[in-house]
Amino acid sequence: MKRYDLIIVGAGPSGLSAAIEAAKRGMKTIIFDENEKPGGQLFKQIHKFFGSKEHKAKIRGFVIGEQLLKEADEAGVEVKLNATVIGLYQDKEVVVKIGEEICHYKGDSIIIATGAAENMVTFPGWTLPGVIGAGAAQTMMNLHGVKPGQKILMLGSGNVGLVVSFQLLQCGCDVVALVDAAPRVGGYGVHAAKVARTGVPFYLSHTIVKAEGEDKVTGVTIAEVDSSFKFIPGTEKHFDVDTICLAVGLSPMSQLLKMAGCEMEDNPKRGGQVPICDENGRTSIPGIFVAGDVSGIEEASSAMIEGRMAGITAAEYLGYMDKEELDKGMEELDHALNGLRQGMFAPKNRGKKITETEEGIPVSENLLTKGYVADDEIERFPGVTHAKGIHPVIECTQNIPCNPCQDACPKKCISIGENITSLPTVPHAEDCINCGMCVASCSGQAIFLVDEDCGDGTATVTLPYEFLPLPEPGTKGVGLGRSGQPVCQAEVVSVKSLKAFDKTNLLTMRVPKEYAMKARFFKAE
Amino acid sequence: MDTRIAVHPILGETTKGREISFTFDGKEMTGYEGEPIAAALKAAGVMIHRYTKKEHKPRGIFCAIGRCTDCVMVVDGVPNVRTCITPLKEGMDVRTQYGVSAEPFDKQ
Amino acid sequence: MNKVNDRSRDIGPFVPGPDDDMLICRCEEITKGEIRKAVHDGMWTMTEIRRYLRTGMGLCQGQTCGKLVKGIVARELGVSPAELEPATSRVPMRPIEMYIFANEAKEADVHE
Repeated sequence: MKRYDLIIVGAGPSGLSAAIEAAKRGMKTIIFDENEKPGGQLFKQIHKFFGSKEHKAKIRGFVIGEQLLKEADEAGVEVKLNATVIGLYQDKEVVVKIGEEICHYKGDSIIIATGAAENMVTFPGWTLPGVIGAGAAQTMMNLHGVKPGQKILMLGSGNVGLVVSFQLLQCGCDVVALVDAAPRVGGYGVHAAKVARTGVPFYLSHTIVKAEGEDKVTGVTIAEVDSSFKFIPGTEKHFDVDTICLAVGLSPMSQLLKMAGCEMEDNPKRGGQVPICDENGRTSIPGIFVAGDVSGIEEASSAMIEGRMAGITAAEYLGYMDKEELDKGMEELDHALNGLRQGMFAPKNRGKKITETEEGIPVSENLLTKGYVADDEIERFPGVTHAKGIHPVIECTQNIPCNPCQDACPKKCISIGENITSLPTVPHAEDCINCGMCVASCSGQAIFLVDEDCGDGTATVTLPYEFLPLPEPGTKGVGLGRSGQPVCQAEVVSVKSLKAFDKTNLLTMRVPKEYAMKARFFKAE
Repeated sequence: MDTRIAVHPILGETTKGREISFTFDGKEMTGYEGEPIAAALKAAGVMIHRYTKKEHKPRGIFCAIGRCTDCVMVVDGVPNVRTCITPLKEGMDVRTQYGVSAEPFDKQ
Repeated sequence: MNKVNDRSRDIGPFVPGPDDDMLICRCEEITKGEIRKAVHDGMWTMTEIRRYLRTGMGLCQGQTCGKLVKGIVARELGVSPAELEPATSRVPMRPIEMYIFANEAKEADVHE
């Protein structure tokens, strides 16, 4: 039996972060991961992350994954892939299937970072080929370069459903509808808005009646549900689709901890069966720690911080760090984690109906029920400004922990202030030099550069554009409103793709000036 | 049906191993070495991986990460191979799984 | 004593439902109706349900249906799913061929 100071199960964001911290302290560390490639879900995350600099905001998930792998390698972490942990025992013995053999390892400390598994819902036809999990869609398109389908219906309006819908659009699939049984969009409004403005209709308070097809999906019927989630007769709608994608939540994959004898609880706020643990990640068994989604469903950003916490806690447990250093490290990480756990979507606000922002502005009801802010609601948000000449219009309407826009502007036009969840304001709109950095830095794709009156009856709108093909200047088409409906004629003025924009192209379109504050997407004719 | 993503707006050009041939139910097909068998089948338009033992119902890719075991097939004579996480190799013999066999139910 | 252990409690008769033929356990092909009936046959814990019907005992080991089965059983018993103890977790956590399970690596190989 081989001995390690620390054995980590799972090479995702939390496991890798834990390993880096521990190995840096001199611990002999190994990570087992059952997958062929490390990184967990990070390599399927192609959007820019939210948060602030310390949370790696505005960096795309797969790039963060590459950074973590490099750091782990430099710190001397051993990452063992295709290594399936099939058993964990109280005395910290780990049984691993490697190749065609069963191997036994002893860890003086263990960190379980196994992440989560997708939840599923049932409806007639849910076992048909063509009904897939949202994770499956991400895996196929972002890892293997294969489209999950051509015409797709997404069930679930949480961040996973919204983000995956956008990714499906990016790889050229047609998302015919986004459906959720809940009456309100579950994920970030900015994620919803960027999907809605491309023309994807949202059906809240709707769910799937049945998947159609004999031996594979050929269509789907949805219907409206009442407040007790019963179908309302006569509200059925049919879509021709070849794929139905399910994004209905995640559950912690905590079975190994239960096997080892850790005290468990069923905590719906954390997503299901989780180990009872303190904020450092200590379970009821000394020396067994947890980090990431396995101890409660959150985001990759928080998983990375929890991983680091568990890593230093394990280091202190085995004497590689003294108590004082641990406390200092924890204080810093606590601060970073708390930063992420603020705002409307904070764990403490889960299930609460929020009616106004921290600034006292009524939230957009339309955003919550249809996926986009209505034209008559948008003006009340502080980032939506008017000025002569080109200036930023920030359609960020919910308090989420994110602030890259304030650092992106070289002229300091944009301000969020001390409180990371505050809505951005544009105190110096007139100083805008049209550099586009704010547009490209906004992880929510909610910033536009608008010249409301070019003097010839037209206006220009610059928007973030992450699709192919990139339209040529002069391309004629239509301007789509926030709802995704065509509102006016539009012509492409320019498409800028600078390295600093990190794949977020800036498309500038010319529209009639009455549509300067209405047209938010371009569609070629 | 064009299901391969040649160029992705964020990920750029899709990089793959060398093109190789394999068979699906005896039919010659091509895919890329090292990609999951399921990805090659998906790109070739194959949706049905198996028929269930009790009800003989069709199943295909569901989780794509080796958890749900719905995409299992008979590969090189071995049943219950999770095609979503098993790398494709030159000359592989991939067959639809009926129950736990490559033989259709009426021949079992 | 919690409600799940109180076997003297009357949970009423089995009433057929319109979606009883909905497949829940994809691997072992067990329907919602079978699970509901099993509760009325006296199978009140997740472990009993597993042994009685084989839900979650197939290739995927309950990865997909675990939560669904729990929800159905809890509803039938009139308790919250959180009150139901999940089924036992045991080795092996993932599907594994018996010849591999029995193939212990030689100590020398594990020691680098």
